[in-house]
Amino acid sequence: MKIQIKKPEVLAPAGNLEKLKMAIRYGADAVYIGGQAYGLRSRAGNFTYDEMREGVQFAHRRGGRVYVAANMVTHEGDAAGADQFFKTLQAIGVDAVIISDPAMITICFAAAPGLPIHLSTQASTTNYKALEFWKQLGVARVVLAREVGIKEIREMRRHTDVEIEAFVHGAMCIAYSGRCTLSNHMVNRDANRGGCAQSCRWKYDLFEIDGNTAKSLIPEDEEPFSMSAVDLSMLHHLPDMIEAGVNSLKIEGRMKSIHYVSTVSNVYRKAVDTYCADPEHFTFDPAWDDEIWKVAQRDLSTGFYYQVPTEKEQLFGKPRKIPKYTFAGQVMSYDPETKIATLQQRNNFGVGEEVEFYGPGFVHFKQTVRDLWNEDGEPIDRAPNPMMTVTMHVDQPVEPYFLMRKK
Amino acid sequence: MINLIATAESENQAEALLEAGVDTLYVGGHPFGLRLPRPLDLDEIETIVRMAHERGKKVTVACNAIMHNEQVSRLGGYLSRLAEIKADAITIGDPGAIFTLEQMRLPLPYIYDAETLVTSAEQIAFWVKRGAAGAVAARELTLTELEEMQRKLTVPVEVLAYGPTCIHQSGRPLLTNYYHYTGLKERADKDRGLYLRDPKNPDSQYPIFEDEDGTHIFSTEDLSLMDQLQELDKAGLHTWKLNGVLLHGEKFTAIARLFAAARDAVEDGTFEPAGFSNRLRAFQPASRPLGTGFYLKNPDDVK
Repeated sequence: MKIQIKKPEVLAPAGNLEKLKMAIRYGADAVYIGGQAYGLRSRAGNFTYDEMREGVQFAHRRGGRVYVAANMVTHEGDAAGADQFFKTLQAIGVDAVIISDPAMITICFAAAPGLPIHLSTQASTTNYKALEFWKQLGVARVVLAREVGIKEIREMRRHTDVEIEAFVHGAMCIAYSGRCTLSNHMVNRDANRGGCAQSCRWKYDLFEIDGNTAKSLIPEDEEPFSMSAVDLSMLHHLPDMIEAGVNSLKIEGRMKSIHYVSTVSNVYRKAVDTYCADPEHFTFDPAWDDEIWKVAQRDLSTGFYYQVPTEKEQLFGKPRKIPKYTFAGQVMSYDPETKIATLQQRNNFGVGEEVEFYGPGFVHFKQTVRDLWNEDGEPIDRAPNPMMTVTMHVDQPVEPYFLMRKK
Repeated sequence: MINLIATAESENQAEALLEAGVDTLYVGGHPFGLRLPRPLDLDEIETIVRMAHERGKKVTVACNAIMHNEQVSRLGGYLSRLAEIKADAITIGDPGAIFTLEQMRLPLPYIYDAETLVTSAEQIAFWVKRGAAGAVAARELTLTELEEMQRKLTVPVEVLAYGPTCIHQSGRPLLTNYYHYTGLKERADKDRGLYLRDPKNPDSQYPIFEDEDGTHIFSTEDLSLMDQLQELDKAGLHTWKLNGVLLHGEKFTAIARLFAAARDAVEDGTFEPAGFSNRLRAFQPASRPLGTGFYLKNPDDVK
């Protein structure tokens, strides 16, 4: 039987303009970014209007799209100026805004009619009637809560044709997003306004009160109580996501590095393209998995997609040992005659080290650094200075924006 | 007119609370109502509604769960029954539930209650435009903010006058998962009475339990606005909830009786907070400190 599918979008995070360009180059169909206000990542490198303009032009020239997150849950006064903000985004040509707060939705509809609105995961949308509610209101897309399972998505698809976006990769809230104020109560930082202190990842005592004394339940020499989730990865289950009718596969991580964003975008691009080109004969390439683990920060799981997560989907005990790779350099140019590449250093590396080059389209190869020259053409042993320009022999052809990592 | 709302855990307690002078009872059960003292079935709710109406009082039924497909597909039948038994209002936090109610055109007013997400007048106005008859304000708001919100709105904004507030809801069984990891043989339900402590804050003790909706964590303090009731009234905040989710039987009813007397005094202009506060402290369980939460903070203190 022929599998009926609609090719989904690969949606990557971009904490700044450089990451935006890398994500698009490495295969993201769309990126989401933050502006100077109204977002939930006050510490991510957020975009000025000029940077947004440049990012949008860059993405549009390559057929990509840019969404701006304005998903703060506003208190009195916080929404001031949001009308002008949305108007400016629309003039810049931003493709959609991601909002969770109905007050912000109202402002956006009035100030920038026609600017598509995506309902943020912060609104915890978990049922098909809620999808219909937002669709009737004129919301273009809904980002599902991370607590929704694959079966539930299939059922949602039978009830509504509104665009569905779902997380496929990255860190997760252990709570229903938006329904956790641990940070507010513990350190006066408002989780729903970008201040989350990640209190869920702290260690806690668990106890009962017997008469007037607290009696701990934590067994001696045992791990304290904690609520830290391992990360999500649906890489092995993309056919399920696509066949269930998810329109956009979202990668978490506006705080993540260029190395992370380029690698994860590259892998998901390749996997989605491979599956969609021939769903009936799709096989999983273990190289995708190897690649994902090079940037993994925690153990990986499938979240709520197949079952309610057990203790195996939480971080207890010693964390799994994940080999650490470092982003070492970015290719600026390559001379095929001499096989010499010019690189911008991003982390200390030197002669004798084994490095790995990777580029868009899931190109990878290993290389030993045999030689190294500085900007003045003088031979050097190591490239110690941040952003210094160096040249070296690279046996296989590379292109500008190929990246180099080392173990 | 002040509306004093109290959770009721049983028909017996409902009767006692009505006798105590509560204006509105708040009840409900799984799978539609969140974090109630005890889940009640429709027959019990029907009895409580009849009891309240005989005394000219009201009943609001909790339908404020974060609903999955399975829940929302069953909600219609539940709402019809609530309309039949003449429940006075329901609380809703899920837009899918609001959509269901809209489609059914039932004579059942709803109060918007998405807990932590209800933080501005403009948000509430959005839901009022879609039929909301009131809203439950997030417990993380300051009095300054609440006063401003109420001033901008024609519908009542409910504040928590007494009780614990939920500060975290996870869809995961966090206690069970921990028990499995450590091999502990333990219960995780509400009656087990477990707490978390942040080692950096020795005074902290956050109640935690699991039920059908996942894992719930509550504030260290029982909020009490007993000392601020006059200010609440002046600020136009006339809807006061007493939450007995962690306090049962006569212990809770006694506190409700005290707040009802305080309400009467506020309405008569004879309110003296000191005496009421002292009596409240005498009723208050030793394991639960009283506090004012975010109410007296400066809005700029929390960012």
